[in-house]
Amino acid sequence: MSTNRIISSLRAEFGEAVRGSSSPAAGRLLVDLDRSRLREAARFLINRGGRYQVGVGADERDRTQTFGLIHFFAFDRERFSIGLRTAAPASDPTFDSITPDIPSAGWTEREFRDLLGMRFPGHPKPKKLITADDWPDGIYPLRKDVPYNLVPPSTADVAYQLDEAPPGTTIVPVGPFHATLHEPAHFAVYVDGETIKHCDYRGFMAHRGIEKLCQTQVSYNEVPFIAERICGICGSVHSVAYCQAVEMAAGLSISRRAEFIRVVCLELERLHSHLLLIGVAGHLIGFDTVFMHAWRIREQVMWLSEKMTGNRKTYGMVVIGGVRRDITPEMKDEIFAVLKNLEAEIASFHKAVAGDSSIHGRTKGVGKVPTEEVVLWSLLGPVARGRGVDIDARRDFPYAAYDEIAFDVPVTTDGDVWGTIVVRLLELFESIKIIRQALDKMPSGPVLTEYGEALPAFRTGWSIVEAPRGESFHYVLTGEENRPERWRVRAPTYTNLQGIPRMLRDNQFADFPIILGSIDPCFSCTDRVAVVDRRSGRKRVWTKSEMDRLSRSRS
Amino acid sequence: MRFLAPLVNVAIFLALAPLFEGVLRKLTAKIQSRQGPPLHQPYLDLLKLLGKERLDSAGTWPFRFAPLLAFAAILAVAAVIPFGGRANILAGRMDVILVIYLLTLGGASVLFGALAGRNAFGLIGASREMVTMIMVEPILAMTLILGAVKLGSLSLAAAVPSAAGASYGISNALMLLVYLLALQAFVARQPFDIAEAEVELLEGPFIEYSGGNYALFKYAMMLKQMFYAWLFVSVFLPFLRTGVYPLDLLIQLLAMFVVFLLIGLVGSTNPRMRIDQAVRYYAVLIAAALAAVGLGVWGH
Repeated sequence: MSTNRIISSLRAEFGEAVRGSSSPAAGRLLVDLDRSRLREAARFLINRGGRYQVGVGADERDRTQTFGLIHFFAFDRERFSIGLRTAAPASDPTFDSITPDIPSAGWTEREFRDLLGMRFPGHPKPKKLITADDWPDGIYPLRKDVPYNLVPPSTADVAYQLDEAPPGTTIVPVGPFHATLHEPAHFAVYVDGETIKHCDYRGFMAHRGIEKLCQTQVSYNEVPFIAERICGICGSVHSVAYCQAVEMAAGLSISRRAEFIRVVCLELERLHSHLLLIGVAGHLIGFDTVFMHAWRIREQVMWLSEKMTGNRKTYGMVVIGGVRRDITPEMKDEIFAVLKNLEAEIASFHKAVAGDSSIHGRTKGVGKVPTEEVVLWSLLGPVARGRGVDIDARRDFPYAAYDEIAFDVPVTTDGDVWGTIVVRLLELFESIKIIRQALDKMPSGPVLTEYGEALPAFRTGWSIVEAPRGESFHYVLTGEENRPERWRVRAPTYTNLQGIPRMLRDNQFADFPIILGSIDPCFSCTDRVAVVDRRSGRKRVWTKSEMDRLSRSRS
Repeated sequence: MRFLAPLVNVAIFLALAPLFEGVLRKLTAKIQSRQGPPLHQPYLDLLKLLGKERLDSAGTWPFRFAPLLAFAAILAVAAVIPFGGRANILAGRMDVILVIYLLTLGGASVLFGALAGRNAFGLIGASREMVTMIMVEPILAMTLILGAVKLGSLSLAAAVPSAAGASYGISNALMLLVYLLALQAFVARQPFDIAEAEVELLEGPFIEYSGGNYALFKYAMMLKQMFYAWLFVSVFLPFLRTGVYPLDLLIQLLAMFVVFLLIGLVGSTNPRMRIDQAVRYYAVLIAAALAAVGLGVWGH
C-alpha cells in the first residue's frame, strides 16, 4: 500500500472526518482527523498492516486553544510512517482510548493522562504511570502554564495500588531495588508456587523531566547533549534521532561524510550494547563466565570510542547539521585493526555460546510469545526479530548513510529468549560489516553543515533510528524561540516493557530475570519525561516500614 | 592425645575451609579472565562480617538460633570423622547414620532460619532448599550405605575409609560417578546454587541475615564444602594412604585441593539450573545410586 493509496482509502472510509493531509518528508505522512473517528481510524490502519509506534500529546492552547494528539503508525514493508493528528478543545481534552484495540498504546494514553490531563474513556487500566503517587491531582506538568521547576507540596503517605492478585497467587516484589534490575523500577510478580501468573509494573522512578526542560530552557543545539544522556548505553541513538528529526522538520540536508560518521557511531554503539546484554544475560542465568568474557571483548570498543570521540561512550559527537569530529586516516586504520581483532574474538565467543547445551536449557522455550502476539504488542528490535518479525528501521526507514550499505537483518523463528540472543550474536557480525563498509565508502568533505538563520517555526519532523534494543522514535515540532516547541522521545524499551507481562505469563519465577533481561531493558530511556526532582517523592512513596512490609508480605 | 584428635579435626577444618573457598574464587576468576581476590579474602570477609551489625529482623529465637545450629552441626561432623584416615576416639563410637543426621540438621537449620525470617525471597529459597535436600540426601546416604554394605558395619571408623578399599567393584565405580555428578549440589555451587540464586532470590534463605549470624552461615557453608571434598577423597580414594598420620593428612588435603579445583571448574562453566530441571537431574542420580547399592549387595 503506497502513501497515496492509504490517504485515498482513509478518505473513502472516513470522508469528511479526514480534514487534510501533508507529507513533511519522503516516507512521512500526517493526516488531520476529526477526533470522533480516532479509534476507528487507528483500527483501520492496524488492520491494514500498520504497526503502532507511539502517541504524541501536546499543549497547544496558546496557539489553537486545543490539546493536540498524534498517533503514529509504521508501515514497515511499504516504508512509510503515518501520523493521525487530532485535537480536542481545551475545555474538554477527551479522546477515545485506542488501547482496547492496540495494547501497546496503553502507556502513551496513561502518560498524557498524567502529564497533560487528557482523558481516555475506555482505557482498560487508567492508572497512574508517570507522576509520583503523591503528585497532586490537577497539576499536569507538561502543560505550558506549569513551570519546569515546580515542586508541589508533598501529601500524606500514598502508595501505588497494585493490580488485584489472581486467586491463589503470592506477590513477589522485584524492585524498586533488586539485583535483577540495574535501575530502579518495581515489578510485582504474582506467582503460583514457582509459576508466574501476572505481573504489574510501577516504574518511572528516575524522571529527569528532559522533554519539558528542552522545550522551555535550552536551545536547539544544546539538546543533543541532553538527548544522548537519556540513555547510558545508546547515547548516539538519541542524539542522532533528535538531530535527524530537527533536520527533517527544518529541511536541512547535511554533508554525506557526516552521515557516514553517524553510522560508524551508531554501529559501535550496537556492538558494545549487544556484548553488554549478552554478558548480562549470562549473569542472569547464573553463568558469570559468559558475563566476564563478553565484557572483556566489549572493552576494546569502549577504548576505541574514547579515541574517536573523547568519551568511553560515543557521546558528544552528534549535533544538528553533522558531527563534531572527523575520522582521520590514522583513526580509520585503528578502527579496522580493532574490528579485525573483535571479529575473531566474537567468532570464538559465538561458537562457545551457541553450542552450549546448558545455556539452551535455560533459554530455549522460555518467554515464548507467538509471532501474532508480538505484532499485537508492537514489540521491537531483537525482541521481535527473535520471534520471527522481520523489522529493522535501518533497512525499512533508511536514515544517515544506511541506504548505501549492504547488510543482513538476522531473524529467527524460535520465539523465545534464545532467539533474541541468537539475533544479537549475529547482529554483531553485521555491525562489523557495516562499519567496514562505512569507512570504505565514506566520501571526503566537511563534517558539519552550519545552518545560518533561525530554523522555521512549527514544522514537524519525526525520525526513526534502530537502536540496539529496537526502534527509537523522536518527534520534533520546531518552535519560535530557537528550541523545539514539542519534542517527544520514545525509546524501544517503552514499548517492549509493555509486553513483559505477556512474556512472563506461565513461565517459572527463576526465568523472570532472563526474560526481563532479554528485552535489554533501559529504564532510564523509559523514565525520561516527568518534571520534578523525584527524590523527595520516592522517599515518601517507599518508606522504610512500607518497604519492610512489602518485602515480607506473603499475600 | 586420643582425646585431642577430634579437636585437631575441628581446628584443621576451621583453619582451612576459608582457604579452600579462596582457591575456588581464585580459580573462577582465572577462568573468567579476572585477577580475582587474594587467597585469604574469605578470612577477611568473615572478619568483616563479624564487625557488622547483627540485624534481628524477625525478632524470634529460631531466627537467631538457626546460624548457631548450622555451624555446630557441621563442626560436630568435622569432629567425628576419621580425618587423615585415622579413626579418633569419637569415630569409633559413632556410625554413618549420625553423620547423615548431623548433615541434615545443618540443612534443616538453614530452613528454620529462612522460615523464621518470613521474607518472600527467603521463603522461595527455603522451599527450593527443601526440595534440594530431599533429592540430594539420598545420594549421600547411598554413598555411605554402600560402604556399610560392603563392610557389613555402619561404624564410621570402618565404613568410610575402607568402604571402597575392601573391594573396588563396579558398584563403587558407579557410585563414584554419581557422587561426582552430585558434588555441585552437595556444596550448593553452580549449576545447583538454586536456593540462593543471587539474581532472582538475592541469596534466598540468607537474605535477612547480617553480621555475625551471616558469618556463621557462610562459615558453615565453607566447612560443609570441605567435608564433601573430604568424603570423596576418603571414600573413593582410600588407597592414598601410607599409614603415617601426618603424611596421610597431607595427602588427603592435597587430594581435597584437587576436588576443589574440579568444583571451581564445573561451577564456572555452567549456568544455574531451574529447580524443575534440577529435580529431574537428581532423580536420575538417585536411581543410579540405588542401582550401585543394589550391585554392592549383589557383591560386585
